[in-house]
Amino acid sequence: MTALAPLGAAFSVEALKLRRSVVARLATLLLVVLVPLGSVGVVALARSPRAVGPTAAKLADYATGDLAATHLLACAQILSVATLVAGGFYVAWSFGRELESGTAGALFGLAVPRGTIALAKCLVALAWITVCVVVTVAVTVVASAVVTAGSGASFDGAWAGARTALVAGLLGGGLALPFAWLATVTRSQLGTVGGLVGMVALTQIVVLLGGGSWFPYAAPSLWTGLGGPTAAAAVGLPHLLLAAAVAPVATAAVVQTWRRLTNV
Amino acid sequence: MTALRLDNVSHTFGGRLALDRLTLTVRPGQVTALIGLNGAGKTTALRALAGRLRPTDGEVAILGHNPADLPFGVAARFGHVVDAPLVYPELTVTENLRCAARLHGKSRHMAIPAASAAVGRMGLEPWRHARARTLSMGNRQRLGIACATLHQPSALILDEPTSALDPQGVVLVRGLVRGLADAGAAVLVSSHHLDEVSRIADEIVVLHAGRDVGRLEPGGSDLEQRFFAMVLDADTRAAADAHAETPGGRS
Repeated sequence: MTALAPLGAAFSVEALKLRRSVVARLATLLLVVLVPLGSVGVVALARSPRAVGPTAAKLADYATGDLAATHLLACAQILSVATLVAGGFYVAWSFGRELESGTAGALFGLAVPRGTIALAKCLVALAWITVCVVVTVAVTVVASAVVTAGSGASFDGAWAGARTALVAGLLGGGLALPFAWLATVTRSQLGTVGGLVGMVALTQIVVLLGGGSWFPYAAPSLWTGLGGPTAAAAVGLPHLLLAAAVAPVATAAVVQTWRRLTNV
Repeated sequence: MTALRLDNVSHTFGGRLALDRLTLTVRPGQVTALIGLNGAGKTTALRALAGRLRPTDGEVAILGHNPADLPFGVAARFGHVVDAPLVYPELTVTENLRCAARLHGKSRHMAIPAASAAVGRMGLEPWRHARARTLSMGNRQRLGIACATLHQPSALILDEPTSALDPQGVVLVRGLVRGLADAGAAVLVSSHHLDEVSRIADEIVVLHAGRDVGRLEPGGSDLEQRFFAMVLDADTRAAADAHAETPGGRS
């Protein structure tokens, strides 16, 4: 057996569990259907005569500018949060349920070590999020192409927006991995979801206080313009790299915690 | 050579003593049964042996290695079912078995026949494509044992393996355990079913209040009587010891 064979075995087992997971199926559906619909829909609403009063004010950023670019901008903004939430729910299930149901105990003494199984879980979560992000952005691009073709608008701005959406979605998904560690130490799926909700709330507070660009959970959203053009301009490559570093650091922490797991 | 070894192992849960200097060995080809009342420490001993619990004191070994960190070649020869088995409710019987085979070190190619053989061996053919969540408790237990034994382990730990089984399942598990032991495996089984233990075990260890209080000879119709006599004797001696140690008591 080669050195990578245990990881391959664990990856195939975890990938099968993901395919059978209700949480992953629901999250996939919500991401690839709801996000494109929301992205195109919110721009249509912003440019509709029906958008008046507070709705018009709230959607002002989407009311003008290149139509296709605005679709993809909305997609990037929604994805930056949606992938965090979807990924967070998935890892809460993937890691937490093993400890809640007791199957974590059955993962001791196997030819494939627990640390390798934890690594495979993280890699499967990242692969799934990556596929979801790519499909979601692709569906949004197609939907945008249909809408812009109908209105005769230019489609050129879509590609830069698609790149932003891909990066924001992947960064958001990577930020979900610390919740795998939280699920391991709390041994609770609901406790992990509570932590996820708490982190979203904390991010809002940090942004409200004017911070954010150095806060990994805020940086991707701010970069997409969710906090306005000034906040977006303040986010640069170092801030995004810091957000990107969260996933490998969290993976290393989770693997180490699973290696040292006891009293299971 | 000893395949399963607990050496002077003690463990406490928040100040409560669960295991008290327990020493136990199981040799290849031997079936040892661990019996005791609820809370005697049977499951704690098995969890320590499976590496799921770092005991407060003492040493534990599976095929000569620390169970918390088994090398690949050793882990591939070890199986256990203690509490929850390696069974996922969203997967079918066959999928669960193939996953278990992969995690026990079998290649994708080898996992398929290993899973099929386990389905036949444990009488799970009618439920081959059923999701585990739809199985009865007895069939889930059969599946869990199948997942832990499809790689023909040389060292095996089973906690209450027949607790939910029908008579046919009991006979299947008995045959499986004896077959593995006859092929050279060391098997440690915990059970409340004294008559069942009597049929499969070569040695019966009585655990009481975390302590090894003696051995019972398998066979005979008075096993239950001998078990309770041993437990009562252990309680009487413990009470006498406690009395002797209290001020005013005889020393």
